[in-house]
Amino acid sequence: MMLTRVCLAALAAVAVSAAAAGQSSIPGLDIKVTKIERAASASLRDCPPGTNTVSAVSKPGEQFALVTVAFKVSSAYKPAPMKRPTVTDSTDKSYFTPSQFVDVASVPEFSCTFPFRVPEGTKLKALKIENASFDLAGMDK
Amino acid sequence: MEVDRRVFIASLGGPAVVALMDHEAKAEALEHYMEEKLDEMVAQNQGGQPEKFPTVAEIEAQIETRPYRRGAGSVFTGQRGENVKKLKPMPDKPTLEDFFELRFAPANHVLQSATRAMKTGMSEEIILACLLHDCVLSLIKPDHGWWGAQLFEPYIPEKSAFAIRYHQTLRFYPDEEAGYEYPDQYYRIFGHDYTPPQYIQDTYKMLKNHKWYMEPRLVTVNDLYAFDPNAKVSIEPFKDIIGRLFKQPKEGLGYDNSPSAHMWRTLARPDNPL
Repeated sequence: MMLTRVCLAALAAVAVSAAAAGQSSIPGLDIKVTKIERAASASLRDCPPGTNTVSAVSKPGEQFALVTVAFKVSSAYKPAPMKRPTVTDSTDKSYFTPSQFVDVASVPEFSCTFPFRVPEGTKLKALKIENASFDLAGMDK
Repeated sequence: MEVDRRVFIASLGGPAVVALMDHEAKAEALEHYMEEKLDEMVAQNQGGQPEKFPTVAEIEAQIETRPYRRGAGSVFTGQRGENVKKLKPMPDKPTLEDFFELRFAPANHVLQSATRAMKTGMSEEIILACLLHDCVLSLIKPDHGWWGAQLFEPYIPEKSAFAIRYHQTLRFYPDEEAGYEYPDQYYRIFGHDYTPPQYIQDTYKMLKNHKWYMEPRLVTVNDLYAFDPNAKVSIEPFKDIIGRLFKQPKEGLGYDNSPSAHMWRTLARPDNPL
């Protein structure tokens, strides 16, 4: 029981440290947020991206927050289904992206732009990919 | 849109390369070229502003500019304004794969959709529904969800037929949590001020509370991401699923006296005058 508690505490500490540093806690997958933009429309592509031609368009009072993320895949990465990323705003409200991870191990290095439909002027706080959290507040100005 | 023939041929690698391409490949290359040019024109004309979509009235005004109706199935109309081509005859006892090869081809969109469903770990019923969801567009386009479900219903699991029937309705309704956005192509083909008719609204209300809501929803999610002109797909990865879930009639599709046999026969012989 004691050992379990120690292990859980250690895991929690690792998770907090990974989140604070904005690092990936997915073994073999190096993840870095590179850019945040705003746009009236968003190209709907999976991650890694192909050349899908469908887009989504914002409605009045809305916009797309486009969060670009760079990925590097190493041999330690074990392919497994991954959930779609989410972002939170300054009030911790969550927003979903339609982009899905498909065949992540198919290329060693790639960049994906995840669109999030948000009310105009929304400030993003964090990006979540699986159990990793990335601080966006510093970048979203 | 005007296409500069020389620039187009050069973009493909020159006349020698073009000479090696079959008719289908040339048509596909032209379509991709025009799509790219269209994107460039839109960006140039609007300085990066969002595309201006037509209204319902503007789309309706186009009806009498065509020699065919938009709802005609693709085997009944020429592609890109050309005359129709003579179709290869079907075997005596045609299978689903024969229809894919001879009547639904190139079927790129449904193959992409099913490939995505497979790669993201969806159930075999959903993968099959994605593979079949738009095949009926060869026969008829309006209400393709209902027509498609009817065509396949005697041969596939109930969940797959449900997903095919109702993906048509759910395509009009975004679901951010499920990963479905309203596609810009719908603004283009229906008009930006389009409102789905009452029966679609009623069907949506029914589906929202249905225990199988996610079945057609997952078809729409994969549908959205299956318009990649460069994707390389084939029916090969789906042969096992078809073998397990599709009840191929021994008499051949169209000759088993099922409730949809006549629809298969129409697809097999679209040039019959009566």
